[in-house]
Amino acid sequence: MSLPADLQRAEAPPARRIDWLFWIGVSIVSVVVFLALFAPYVVPYDPTLAAHRPSMPPPALSDWPGLWWGRLTGAIEAPPHWFGTDANGFDLFSRVISAPRVDLTIALVANALSLFLGVLLGLVAGYFRNLLTEGMMRVSDVLQSFPVFISAMILVALAGRSTTNIVIALALLYTPIYIRLTRAEVMTQRVRGYVEAARALGNRESVIALRHVLPNSLAPALIQSSVTIGFAILLTAGLSFVGAGVRPPAPEWGLMISTGANQIILGEWWPSVFPGIAISLTVFGFAVLGNALERRYES
Amino acid sequence: MVARYIFRRILVGTVQILSLVIAVFFLIRLLPADPVSRFVGLNSSAEAYAQAERNLGLDRPLLTQLGHYLGVLPSEGPGLLQGSLGTSWVTGTPVLTEIGQALPITIELLTFAFAVALLISVPVGMLAALRPGGAADRGVFAYSLFAGSQPEFWWGLLFVYVFFFVLGWAPAPLGVLSPLTSPPPPVTGFITLDSLIAGRPDTLFEVLHHYMLPVATMVFILSGPIIKMVRQNMVRALGSDFVLYARCAGLPKGQVARYALRAAMAPSVTLIGILYGFMLGGAVLIESVFSLGGLGQYAIRSVLAFDYPAIQGVILVITAISLLVYLALDLIHAVIDPRVAYG
Repeated sequence: MSLPADLQRAEAPPARRIDWLFWIGVSIVSVVVFLALFAPYVVPYDPTLAAHRPSMPPPALSDWPGLWWGRLTGAIEAPPHWFGTDANGFDLFSRVISAPRVDLTIALVANALSLFLGVLLGLVAGYFRNLLTEGMMRVSDVLQSFPVFISAMILVALAGRSTTNIVIALALLYTPIYIRLTRAEVMTQRVRGYVEAARALGNRESVIALRHVLPNSLAPALIQSSVTIGFAILLTAGLSFVGAGVRPPAPEWGLMISTGANQIILGEWWPSVFPGIAISLTVFGFAVLGNALERRYES
Repeated sequence: MVARYIFRRILVGTVQILSLVIAVFFLIRLLPADPVSRFVGLNSSAEAYAQAERNLGLDRPLLTQLGHYLGVLPSEGPGLLQGSLGTSWVTGTPVLTEIGQALPITIELLTFAFAVALLISVPVGMLAALRPGGAADRGVFAYSLFAGSQPEFWWGLLFVYVFFFVLGWAPAPLGVLSPLTSPPPPVTGFITLDSLIAGRPDTLFEVLHHYMLPVATMVFILSGPIIKMVRQNMVRALGSDFVLYARCAGLPKGQVARYALRAAMAPSVTLIGILYGFMLGGAVLIESVFSLGGLGQYAIRSVLAFDYPAIQGVILVITAISLLVYLALDLIHAVIDPRVAYG
């Protein structure tokens, strides 16, 4: 049967679009990872040292090439404040590029924890279906129906504003997603022929679940990771923005935006704008990467 | 049939809310926060500390506190069963009164934002679905991916800078009314409706003017997922057998599109409702940027002040409204799509 041409195209998205978006995502994520690893060695100033004239605007864009050339040739001794300074006298450029170490670490560790916990519980819930695992799914449903941001705020504020507590709170809130994804995949895998074959060979059920079903059920959760990391960065920044996240003077994007928020109605745009661009690009990069991986997996 | 369905859903919902409230009650008391020292200060004497602890009722066993909150101990005064959410530890006002003032603002914000977002997203999503893989579709795809992953509080600030500071089109981000305007006498609590009832079109205009930027920020964030969803459902509907049949029967293109739209709207309505419930708690950051004084800002204040009754109240109200919205949506869904049966 032949369908109208546009309907057929709806089933298979064009491959080219996936590729360039995928590479945009990869480059953004690589830059962020690089900064998370090496920012302390490339920052011009200490990001937690308020030792500069406060509220200095960044140099005009037209001056940038000259300043750059001056730095390269050694004509300018002190590194310029590329992004200006904030109301406390911090160098914004150093802070913006130091933030991935805080934001990305929180997001990566939280995601790894919830991925581990969620996949394990999802495997158990999908492979061994009984009253206990069904009860666990109901608990997971209740957890998932919590308003995410407010729950995160409650957990972090009441447990104490520390990096560890942010990580634990995010991990708790993201685990149900992985439970659900893995459970659904395990349920389609456990009726496959290879499971029956493994059972016929006399393998124990726990061995079949861990050695054979688990590796085949990982893909949806791994793909979701990229999206979750992005959202975890957003949530971390949001928490700091309302004062329930990391403590100042830690270089963190949400905290920097919040410091600049009081100045922006007075026209000082730079303390908020630069960290915002950084979050915006980073989260977009992770979202694009996740989307591209998802399409690749499906095709 | 329908009445029995609604009754059963409300019954199940009540049990869900009750278990959630109890869970939250224990959760916030298990966390190592010390609200007492928050109220009396860190260097207070032991007597002052004990006195404050007694005033907040935190010296009693947990189960007694829970019984008091739920209202099952008649000697302790009214609780949840009598329709009381307790009194705020910070202000001393009943939590129900405070939420009653904050909630209408959040609902107004969300309703305006959803109305505008739908007006924009539905045609755009349909346009993208008509030619999957075309230029419009690719642009829409990139936009929805971008807008769906943005820090909304930063965009709010950016809008404030551009439209308030640079252009001067928007009012300062300081609430829903300028401080010089007296608010209309409260009848419904919704300030737009109240100014209409009071016959003050200028106040109504001023409120809408203040809502302009927060609504724009939220529309920007919301339209991403909504467009994506409308597009997906429309593509699916256009590819279904009944549309193929309608085409084969030689019906005009516009009529076929109308059929497909109706089929595409049904699942969209459900997802939009879920998004609405989600945004009740997700509007926190936008409310905070524009100091709107809605439920989200009330949540921030309560959490940062360790105001337990207020925190419990916020969670309770948000969950209850979400569940009611879901119920309403399932009913609407059945009206739009006759294939759905009450199970």
